[in-house]
Order: sequence, then structure tokens, then C-alpha cells
Amino acid sequence: MSVFKPTASNLIRITAFLTAALLAASTSTVMAQKAADGDWAMPGKDYGYTRFSPLSQINAGNAAGLHPVWSFSTGVLGGHEGQPLVIDNTMYVVTPWPNVLYAFDLKSEGYPLLWKYRPAVSPNALGVACCDSVNRGASFADGRIIYNLLDGHTVAVDAASGRQVWSTQIADLSAGETTPMAPLVTKDRVIVGASGGEFGIYGWIKGLDLKSGQVLWTARNMGPDADMLIRPDIFKPPYDSGPDSGRQTWANDSWKTGGAPVWGSVSYDPELDLIYYGTGNPAPYNSEQRLGDNKWTSSVLARRSKDGALVWAYQFTPHDMWDFDGTGTMVLADLVIAGKPVKALVHFDKNGFAYTLDRATGHLLVAAPYANANWATKIDLATGRPVMDPSKQTGASKGNVKGICPSLEGGVSPASPPAYSPKTHLFYTAINNMCMDYAAVRAAYMKGTPFIGANTPYSAGAGGQMGGFIAWDAGTGRKVWENKEPFPTWSGTLATAGDVVFYGTLDGWFKSADARTGKVLSKFKVGSGVVGNPIAFRGPDGKQYIAVYAGPGGDWFLLAGDIRSDDPADVRPPTDFIKDIARHTSQGGIVWIFGL
Amino acid sequence: MRHLPQVRAQCARSRRTRAAAAILFVSTLLLGACGSRNAPEPAAQAQDAGPPAIRYEDHLSADGTLPKGEALKNPVGADPAKAQAGGVLFTAMNCDGCHGGGGSGWVGPSLADGRWRYGGSDAEIFASIYYGRPKGMPAFGGKLGTDGVWPLVTYLKSLTPKDDLATESWVAAH
Repeated sequence: MSVFKPTASNLIRITAFLTAALLAASTSTVMAQKAADGDWAMPGKDYGYTRFSPLSQINAGNAAGLHPVWSFSTGVLGGHEGQPLVIDNTMYVVTPWPNVLYAFDLKSEGYPLLWKYRPAVSPNALGVACCDSVNRGASFADGRIIYNLLDGHTVAVDAASGRQVWSTQIADLSAGETTPMAPLVTKDRVIVGASGGEFGIYGWIKGLDLKSGQVLWTARNMGPDADMLIRPDIFKPPYDSGPDSGRQTWANDSWKTGGAPVWGSVSYDPELDLIYYGTGNPAPYNSEQRLGDNKWTSSVLARRSKDGALVWAYQFTPHDMWDFDGTGTMVLADLVIAGKPVKALVHFDKNGFAYTLDRATGHLLVAAPYANANWATKIDLATGRPVMDPSKQTGASKGNVKGICPSLEGGVSPASPPAYSPKTHLFYTAINNMCMDYAAVRAAYMKGTPFIGANTPYSAGAGGQMGGFIAWDAGTGRKVWENKEPFPTWSGTLATAGDVVFYGTLDGWFKSADARTGKVLSKFKVGSGVVGNPIAFRGPDGKQYIAVYAGPGGDWFLLAGDIRSDDPADVRPPTDFIKDIARHTSQGGIVWIFGL
Repeated sequence: MRHLPQVRAQCARSRRTRAAAAILFVSTLLLGACGSRNAPEPAAQAQDAGPPAIRYEDHLSADGTLPKGEALKNPVGADPAKAQAGGVLFTAMNCDGCHGGGGSGWVGPSLADGRWRYGGSDAEIFASIYYGRPKGMPAFGGKLGTDGVWPLVTYLKSLTPKDDLATESWVAAH
């Protein structure tokens, strides 16, 4: 175990600074960029959500020497999704509810706190959030840390003092809305959305003013064109949809309680000035109560960040009858496909297919299964629609439909953002290998209560292992390598210029692997299951470090083996499909830092 | 996002049947077939006159002296038919969406383990459902009234296992 020595680190920092200055020997812009390379200031590292760090000190040759250099208990036991931020030698950590924000001084030995911020946040959010008390992280902009409280507020906190600058109510708990997603700041807008696909919300995304927190625009993800901020002169969907598509594709006005939450991530292309985000499932799970395509649920939407106007939209799963939310990360990367340069958007959908789209127009370029998927045989590139297996379609009149793959936990959980390395030109992601039965029943809508209507027991997919970690070629739609994991794999991924990738497992291992072969280079048992997203940063001593959270949760099935120990009044029997997990982890809330 | 009540073997029931009957059941319940407002049980009538007096048997009392107050009596009792009716309500009111099929636990705690955050007497369970609880348990009293809540209490009490299983072991059985 080693710690930073402030004196030595100052020396090294000065040396590193001088070296950088001499080597760069150019404008201050380049130097600012150089410094920022060692920071991690937004959830996905960059606007394109690549989760790629240009740091390269840790490489395939020395990663075996990675060891923990610091850890900290957050004092909270909810699922620790999301990631820390590191800006200017300070590390910021947002906990699950009650959403404490910690600021650690990386320049002092032991990283003591500079401050902590404890917002007033309603405990009722715990019962309205479908899927644990998680928070998916913060964004840094304009000297402020900006994040969502679970109870429907966005706050901006001064990064230097820890004082709250503004707080805006964005969501309505009483309507089933909660807010675990990480905001993204695009120039002068803070983009936020709400969960509630299990409560029949009227899903939306909002643009707030960065300075004041004021809500400047609200766009619904379905409903009439006016509510969706659709203007015929601007909205150019790649495949036919017709006017008022967000209303015409829902029988009996079922869009009014149709879900379409925004609980994943938001990406941004500054050149096109477009934000990209996925929408969640249509509600309820019983598809027969909402006949039609149910646009624009389980879709990717591209909007102008300034005014929210919808520019294009593409639906991954029309008339979603499996809870295949489209909320997985939209990774923006410039690829070469069939010899042509493409401004691409790459997305691993819960439905088991990976999609490569032209992010300027929404046209589908590549779609191929990255996991065992049997609900559809392929995605038709001409129409953009899946070619479905009729025997896997669900609904209350169809009874218990068995053996659907993947399960509704997704081939990739949208809570597990992938990474893209421009060095290897490969995408990396944690995966699940699970199938489900799906018995839909009629559900009754009652505001502020669950609106679901299905029972869906899970089972392990072919091979018996329930998770894994893969490298993926998005230009050809081909898996390059795979590491199998015994349990569902729910961490995000970090890729680095050292050609080392990082991920964690539900049974509490944090691993580094060779980006080109998948060979595991190091692993360490971090005390609790990992559903967080690793980051890389440069410390004040000029060295590269890796940080990650431990503490499983974020979906109750992950805790279903009764891995909870904190509530004597809540004891659950082991589930049949994941019964051993409680042997390997309990709840936790730990921030880890690793170094060489 | 997603979550799903996982129905386990011991709690699997025909939810289709329950759900189809639900709306009809609720209306008949509230209109009088299962305890009418026109001819209420004496206890229920008294409760409608004001907030029920709940004495939390599990709470500590200063000097060991319980506060005054009449404990609510469950007019439905442990009648298995009423428990079944409560099970229908458990789905119809979307209780299973949070507590899982058969109350086995999901977002909300298990209601089938014989353990209770806020007390397991009939009166305490009544209070939890009627008035709600601070970690997101909605108050259903406004929707269901006292006559609707009692069958739910009877249903939940019927889920209590015979034995409290405190130990989960991975030691091979001998």
C-alpha cells in the first residue's frame, strides 16, 4: 500500500509541467488540452461518450503490477453506478440516495475531504425509483458540479467551495418520475431526463440554462408533434414515420401513460450541435394495452441542444413487448466502414443487437447480434426494422411465452456504458447472457404506482455463464474476443491509450485486460460487487491512476440472492438462477484508486 | 428502466385470473359485498369517525408505559376467503409492482418473511397501508378506505412462514 507524498508529488508535477511545456512548445490551448487529458470532467470522458483515456503509463507490459493505493467508504449502501470526476487535482464522488457529493483533495496525503455537500432529498424517492437508489454521476462545467438528486431535482454546486449555486425541480415524484441519470452539459445547456418506465410516465428530456438552472425547453418522447418539439421543416427521420407519429402509433391514446423514460446517458456532437439519447420501454409491459409501434419508445433521438428540436429518430424495437429499453449509451466515433469514413453512432441495445448508424442522418449501417438473441433473426437494413420470430411475441392473450433471449436485463445493461479505443478501433463492453419467460397480464394505471403487467423469470443463456466482457468491431458487426464471467456483468468499461481495458464483476473482482487479446492482466477483490464505471486520471505526481466504485445494486435482481444485510425486516429467499451470488458479495459503497 | 416481480414457486398464482377479476372485485368490495359502508363492522365505523388509534407494540415506551389508545381490531380476521380477496387486491392495486409477486420483495421489502419494518400486528400493517410510510410506500387509505385495507392485511398475514429462516448456508449438507 502506498500513498502520495505531497512534497515529492509537487516536484514531479512541476517536472511534468515543464516537460509538457517543452515538448508541446506551442499554444496554451494545446497545454490546456494536455492537462485536461489527465482529468475526467464528464460522465463518458468526452462528449462522444467513448470512455477512452489518452493516458498510457499503464500498459499491457506493466498492468500486472496494479495495486490499490487508496479507498474510501461512502457510508451509503445503494448500488454504486456511475463514476467519479477528477478536475484540477480534486476528485468528486456522488453517492446513491441520499446523493452526498464528496470533494477529495488529491494533493494531500490520504486525500482528505475539501468539503462535502448533503442535499435535502426526499426518502419517498426510494419507493418510486424502480431500480434501487442509484445515481449515474455528475458533469463538470463552468466551475460547477452538476448532478441529479433521486427525487427529481438537478443541482449545481460550486466546485471550489461546495456551496449550492442553484437547484431546480425537474421531475414529479407523485407521477412516478425519479432522476438517477447523469446530466450532460453542452455549451450552455444542461440536458436531463427522468426514469419511470414502470410507472407509466409521460417521458421527456429537458434543457436547462447552465447559469441559472431555469428550464428552457421540455421535449416529450412521444405524443403530439407539438409536445415532442417536432417541426416538419427540421424533423427528417431516416425511415418513414408520418406526421404525429408519437401519437398515431399508439392505440386508444395510450401514449399518455406510455413511459419512454430517459435513464441512460446523453452524448453530444458539437459540430452537428446534436444531442443523442435513448428512450426506455413503452408502458405497460403488456403490449396489448398499447397496440402500434409506440414511437418513440425504445429508440434513439437526435435533438438540437439549443432548443430541443427533434432532428431525427430511429426505433430499435418497434412495439417493444419485452422491455427492451433503448437507453444504452450512444457512443460517437469516427469510423472507416467498407473503406469510407463515417461519423458513426454505435449502440449496444438491450435487445441483443449492436447498431452502427450514421449520426448525421440516423441511417442504419450495420446491425448484428452481439449476444444470444432469438426474438428477431436480423435487422433489415433497408427498412431499419427487425425481422421477428412470431413464437417469441408476448402479450396478455399469449400466456407464458418461454425461452426469450436476451432477458429484459439486456444483453448489455444500459447502466454499463461501453468504451471505444481509437487505437484498436474496437468497442468494449460488459455483457449479460440470460434468457427469460414472459407472462404478460393486464395492468391497471394508478398514478404514482407501478404500471407493469408481466412476470418474467430469468435463466442463464447457452453455456451456463451469465455474463462476460467482449471486444466488438462496429464496422463489420463482429465479436473479436470474449471473456466469460459466471455472473451478470454490470460495470462500465474504461479503455486507455496503454491498450489496457478495465471492468468489474458482480462478484467483486476489478480486472484489467489486454485490449487486443482480452487476456486478464490483473485482478483485485474490491470488497463488494462492481456496477460502477472505471475512470483514468493523472495524479498531481504525474502518474496514471484508475478509480472505480464497488457496491452492487441498480436492479433488484442483482440483490435477489439476498445479498442485503442492512435490513433485518427484509429477508429474501435465494433465487434459482443466481443463487450463489450472496456467497461472494454483500452490499457496499467503496471508492477505490489503483496505481502501479 | 426495468424491474420485475419475480414470482417464485411458493407464490406463483394465476395472476391473469386475479387481474381480470380485480376491477369487478374492487367495485363490489367498495359497494358493499365485502363489508358495506351501509352496514359496517362496529370497529370500522368507529375508525371512520377519526384517525385510528395505533399503539405500536414493538416501539419502546418511556418508563415502560404504553401510550393510551385502543388498538384497532381487524374486522376481517384470518378468514381464508378474505385473504384470497386481499390477494386479488394486492395485484389490482399494483402492490406486487413494488413488493414482488406474492410479496416476496422487490423495490419494497419482502412481506412474506414474517419480519416487519413498522410492526407486524394487524393494526400496524393497517397503518402502513392506510397512511403510507416515508420511504415511498404510498398511502392507499384514500383510494381503498378502511374496508379495502383490511382484506390486504389479512392476506399479508397469511403469507407469514411457519419458521423464521435466519441462516443461509453454503456448507454442504451431511
